[in-house]
Formats: sequence, C-alpha cells, structure tokens
Amino acid sequence: MNNRIRAVSRRTFLGGAMAGAGTIAMPSLVRSQDAYPSETFRVVIPTRQGGGAERIARAFDAAWSQLLGQPFEYEFFPGAAGQIGYEVFVKQREHNGHNLLFGNMGPEMIMYATQKPDYKFPEDYIYFCRTDVDDSCVFVRKDSEFQDIQQVVDAAKQRALNVAVSRIPHPASIGILALGEQTGGTFNLVPYQGGNPTQVAVLNGEADIGTLPIAGILQLGDQFRVLTVFNKENIFAEQTNNAPPVNEVFGTTIPDLYSSRSWAVHTNWADENPDKFQKLVDTSKQVFEDPKFLEAYEKTGAPVEVIKYGDRETCTEYALSMVEFAQRYAEILSAEKG
Amino acid sequence: MGWDGALFVELIGNSFQLLWVIVPAVLFGIVIGALPGFSASNTLIILLPLTLTMDLDVALAFMASVYASSHLGGGIPAILVNMPGDGGSVPTTFDGYPMTLQGKGQQALVLCFVASTIGGLITSLATVALLPYLAPLGLYLRSVEMVVVMVFGLVLIAAIASDDLLKGLIGGFFGLMLGLIGADHIYSTPRGTFGFLELYDGVPIVAALIGLFAIAETFSMVEREAIVPKSETDIARPRWADTIDGLRINLKYWWQTIWTAFLGMLIGIVPGAGATIASFVAYQQSRMFSKTPHLYGTGHPPGIIAPESANNGVTSGTLVPLMAIGVPGGATSAVMMVVLQYQGIVLGPRLFIETPALAYGVFFYMTMSYAVMLLMILPLARYMSKVVNMPTRIIVPLIITLTIIGAFANREYIFDMWLALIFAVLGYLALRTGYHVTGLLIGILLGPLFEQYLLRSLRLGQGDLTILFSSTLANILWVLVVLSLLLPWLRTRQTQRALERAGDTARSGL
Repeated sequence: MNNRIRAVSRRTFLGGAMAGAGTIAMPSLVRSQDAYPSETFRVVIPTRQGGGAERIARAFDAAWSQLLGQPFEYEFFPGAAGQIGYEVFVKQREHNGHNLLFGNMGPEMIMYATQKPDYKFPEDYIYFCRTDVDDSCVFVRKDSEFQDIQQVVDAAKQRALNVAVSRIPHPASIGILALGEQTGGTFNLVPYQGGNPTQVAVLNGEADIGTLPIAGILQLGDQFRVLTVFNKENIFAEQTNNAPPVNEVFGTTIPDLYSSRSWAVHTNWADENPDKFQKLVDTSKQVFEDPKFLEAYEKTGAPVEVIKYGDRETCTEYALSMVEFAQRYAEILSAEKG
Repeated sequence: MGWDGALFVELIGNSFQLLWVIVPAVLFGIVIGALPGFSASNTLIILLPLTLTMDLDVALAFMASVYASSHLGGGIPAILVNMPGDGGSVPTTFDGYPMTLQGKGQQALVLCFVASTIGGLITSLATVALLPYLAPLGLYLRSVEMVVVMVFGLVLIAAIASDDLLKGLIGGFFGLMLGLIGADHIYSTPRGTFGFLELYDGVPIVAALIGLFAIAETFSMVEREAIVPKSETDIARPRWADTIDGLRINLKYWWQTIWTAFLGMLIGIVPGAGATIASFVAYQQSRMFSKTPHLYGTGHPPGIIAPESANNGVTSGTLVPLMAIGVPGGATSAVMMVVLQYQGIVLGPRLFIETPALAYGVFFYMTMSYAVMLLMILPLARYMSKVVNMPTRIIVPLIITLTIIGAFANREYIFDMWLALIFAVLGYLALRTGYHVTGLLIGILLGPLFEQYLLRSLRLGQGDLTILFSSTLANILWVLVVLSLLLPWLRTRQTQRALERAGDTARSGL
C-alpha cells in the first residue's frame, strides 16, 4: 500500500509539477509578448535612502504606479558618487523595461565625466522624464556672521572659506568654484557624501558655508538662511528673504546650475520596444497633471515649485552640458591632476 | 515645548494600546538581528510598502521595535557560536564566546539580554526627558572630535596585540589596508578594487565578519564533537540557576551597564556614527577603567555588558537628530524619515511644538519594546543555550548555510559569498598561527570611518595638521586616548610588583 501511495504521489507530483510549471510559464509568456508592464518595477537609486531622490521618486510613484498598474520597488547604491548604481543598472539589471533608474542627472553626469566609468551615455541608458529643477544655492546657519553673499565673497578674499558640499563632482560645487574664479575669492570644498551630512556640517559650524540644491534647505527652513542662488531668477525669493541670484550681485557670468532628477531606462530596450517605451513616456508625463503626485510631494515639506517636467531631449541636452562643465573643471573635480 | 502630564499619560496609554504590534515586532527583530546579513534597515526598506500603509503610530511602533530588538538579537549568535549578527555585536564575541567555551553560555546570554534591555530602556527614557537638550550635544562632536573617537576604537588593536605585539599589529595594519579598498572619500575615485564593482563601496563588512568569525570558527569546530568541549558539557547543561547567576553578575556590574549605555546614546546622536563605533569604544573604555584589564578577552562579564549596553544606547540616540533637526542619524532612521515624510510630518524643532505626541511617542514605543524584550527573552536564555550541546556535525552545516545566505542577503551579490569564504580561510589560518582576527576586523570596520573623518578634518584644516588639536573637546579626548593606553599598562605593572613583593615576603618568611 505504501508503495502504491508512493507511486501515485510521485506521478501526481510530476504531473502536478509540470502542470504547475505550465500554468506559471504560459501566462508569463503571453504577458511578456503582449502586456506591458507585466511585473513590479525595480528601481535603482544611486544615492542614499532618505535623500532627495527617494523623496521625489516615492511621491512620483504614488501616481505613476496607478497609471501603469504595477508597484515600484527601490534599491539604493550610494557608493562611489553613484557610479555603483549606474554600473549595477547597466550591467546587472535585465534590459526589459521593468528595471528603471532614478538619478540626479547633474552630479551623476559630472561623475561620469570625471571617473570615466565602463558604460556610455546615451548608448547604454537614456533619461526620459525630468521631474524637477532644483537650483543650487549658498546657505549658512541662521546665526551665521554672514548676512549676505557679498560678505561671504569679501571674507573669501581674505582667507579660504570652508564650503560643505555633498560631493565634489556636483553642480553646486561647480557653482561655488566658478564664483571664486570670477570674484577672486578662495573656496575650499569639503565633501560630506550626501545632503543630510552637508547640512549638519553647516549647522555644527565646522564649515563656514554650504552649497546644495535649494529644496532640501527650504525643507529645514527654520535652521538655515539662503544667501544666493545659481540661477537667473530666485523663484523662492519670499522664503529666502529675497536672496539675490549670484550674477545679479557680482555681474558674473556663471551659468544656471541646478540638480535635476530623472527617470532612466536602458537605451537598447527603448529602441527595440518603441511602443512600450512610449507608454512609459506618456504615463510619466501624465503624472505631472495628477494631483496625487503634487500632494505626496508637498507632504514631504519640500517646495512644489521645483517640480518641472522635461522630456528625453531636454534631459539629454542637460546631461551633456554637465559633462562639458565637468571637463572645464576636471582638475579640481577629480583626483587626477594635470 | 508642548510637554505636560496629560501628554505623558496619553503616551503611556498609547504604548500599551500598541502592544499588539510591539510584541510581534520585537520577536521579528530579534530573529532579524540574530541572522547575519539581515539588518534592521534592510528589512525595513523591504517592508516599506507595508509600513507606508499603516497608521503613523503603528508604523513608528513597529519600526522602533524591530530596530531596537535587532540590536539585541545580534548578540545571541555572537555569544553562542562566535557569529556576530552585525558590526555592533563584534566586541560581544571577545568575551561572550570564551564564556560559552567555558560552559557559561547561559550566563553570557543573560548578561547580554539584561545589559541590552536595561541599557536601551534607560537611554530611551533619558531621551524622552532630555530630548531638546540632547540634539545640540550631537553638534559638538564634529569631524575632528570623531577622529579621536575612532582612535579610541583603533587603540583596541594595540590592546589585543599585547600578547604578541608584532602579530597583533600585523593583523591590525593588514585590516586597515583592506579598509582602504573602495572609492576614496574626497573624489569618489575607486581604489584597490581590482576592477570588482562589488568592492567600490569598500570591503563588505558582513562578508568579512561572517568569514573571519563564524565560518573560520566552524572550521575549528569540526575538530571537536560539540561547540563546548566535553569536559565542560556538564556545566553547560541549561539550568534556571544559571539564569539567576547571570542576573546576579548583571547586578554586580550595574554601573557599567548605565555608563556604557549613555556613552552609546551620545555616539548615536552624532549623525553618521553608529552601533559599531559605540560598541568598540564602550569595550575599550570599559577595559581602560577596569582594575582587571588583563581579564578582557578571556570571558570577563563586563566585556559583554559594555558593548551590548552601548549598542542599544545607540538606538534612541540615533533618532534624536532625526526628530530634533530633521536629519537621520543612520540607515534605519533614514527609513523612518521616509515614512514620516510620506505622512506629511515636517521634522525639526517645530515638531516638538506642533505634534509633541509624535515627537516623543517614538521614544515611548521604544521604551515599551525594551520592557517587552526583557520579559520575553530572559526565560529563553535557558533554551537558547542548548545550542552549544548540539553535535558539530549538525550545527556546523547549519551555521555555514545560514552565514553564506547571510553574506548574500545583505547586498544580493554572489561575490560576497565567495568573499566570505576567502575571509574564512584567512580567519582559520590566523587562528592556527596565533594571529588575532579581531585586530584585522577592527581595521576593516573602523579604518574607512577613521579615514573619512581624518581626510575631512585635514581638508577643513586646509593642510594644517594642528586642526586635530584645535578644539578643547578634541584635546580632552586626546588626553583620554593617551590615558587609555597608559592605564592598563600601569595597572598590570602595579599588579606584577605587588605579586613580586608578596613573593619576596613569602621567601623572607621562609
């Protein structure tokens, strides 16, 4: 009896296993040919959890996941100024449209230009949906001796000022270097590997000033004062005590320097699947009209004025301009000298 | 500040009402902590879609309980099988595992449980009482001061090397060299990675500690029938009396539990510092102030109490900068920040005025979770300690499987499994040749942090080395470093002289 039971169960098991495998495989085959998206999106974020990128990505997916009908899962690879995240995305993630990257184009393209990693832009990945334009700013703690940017530059002409920065390869770092170059001040960049530790360095007074994208600073508004922005116009004049744009004060010609996060996907997948890629593009654009996104973003305490859509062309143009900037300041931005 | 008696009563009531989530979360956290590679922050990231849908109070109680209990869980395998669950549990192995080998595993577990829970309990209560004053305290420990704090940890290499200075220092410096692997802290340029992407972020700590400690130990375990040598198995048989004995020892070292817990809390408040630094510094400080420093590393109870109490003191400390200035103190508090922001909570000083119930609530939930932990875990020490009587032919494959999975689970790289095996061979060779793997691991763990703070300080000093002596607090800490090197040496010399004198008296008496 035992033998019979065993024989039957073995047969049943094999039959069941084959049927089960068929059941699992068939719909996925059908799904993979027809429906998109058919599974959870896995998102690589090349910065630390709890940072600005995660804040925007999660607010964005509150609306986008409903439009696409699939949830999002996040993985964080903050090391080597984001290089790890990009390498993992390009080399280790399947190029199937369900693997996305959400990065901060400015610093990460500067890293791309200075570190010369083993992947190519835009051959390996493309940015297709810019979510924000977050102007770089110079800020001090509330009780700082510096009341305005003029005082900062005057002091920088007397002694090298310590500037807390998130990373050396960053648009805000380029901004302060350009300011020093054009006004004769000396700024010594001290990298703190992330926006949060950079804010702490200014708060605890070990750095004289800090330079970061403005949204994170306004989020902790009570504790800091913004002195200037690296843009033609300060759209947060009211919240920043009318801090003037840097070129307006010094008559300098520093270009607009801002951080812009964007969604990215593998280039070859986008080229081979134009319809599916178009679905990503269309739905991501729709998100900007969806109140769920703005509500979710507003809840984080960051200013919604930074939210600005940009298409693939805008993103590519911005990304390549960052490479150009990085090459201009290559000697200061990288460990390789002369 | 919005703080009054009614709020106090309300928060206590809330904590009791949330016991339905705190109890399972504590159990879950202990298991997570005991499994190498499964940290609280990684687990909370995975569970984020779930926590985002919970009520805010429930989510905070869940996350605080998982976080706190995972720190306790890490001590269990560290003591029983020399397998630290995370960096913060490494110093627990120094005296915990020797106690197990002496057949006192149950007492060691009780020491760990009581020190962890009492340490966590008093610091979370202290945080509630002193929260607005604690936040600025973290701002006093800047990069320069953190260099000295790191030196406290690194000094342990010299202490461990005291038996065989050359071998100890070789191990320590080799560890520091390995700690240099990865992207540099200024320009983010990868160094010494041999082209392996998996090393860009430095040597993975979990793979290193799993290999050097857990797997290397299993290689030597297979040479005997059970973890505890046969001569000690009678002593190792679980008894309630041993639990009571453990409590008695805890009581004897009550002051040790308290001050190391506060040391941990203080280190936790500094954003970026964490349980690993706290437990190493606490162990080193405990040894420095001890009258019997030579007993450390041989199964000395304060060697378990100090790191365990400190790494649980960190849990409440690390939430202080998050709540008070809106900056997360570590990886787990960064996950909590995501949940808080998702619910529209604006963190920072205003939080205490606008929503004091929330600002203080998280510390009440943490206090409750420590109370639950103490009641739940203490009776289990008796049963957990039975592990050491299991035949090695069963326990060794189990440990190897669990640890190899743990090496993978942390970052999901197959590479890390191979790396753990390479470290295991290295650890086994070190054991066989009299090199101490601890020195090596301290180098790997603290080396990158030391380098980061040192380079940052030197950059702040714009090349001027005297920046390292530029603050009063840093200078006081430097003096303490020198004292911590001298004191144990002076004490040992004093003991030797006393012994010599006693010998002379005995001889002259003859």
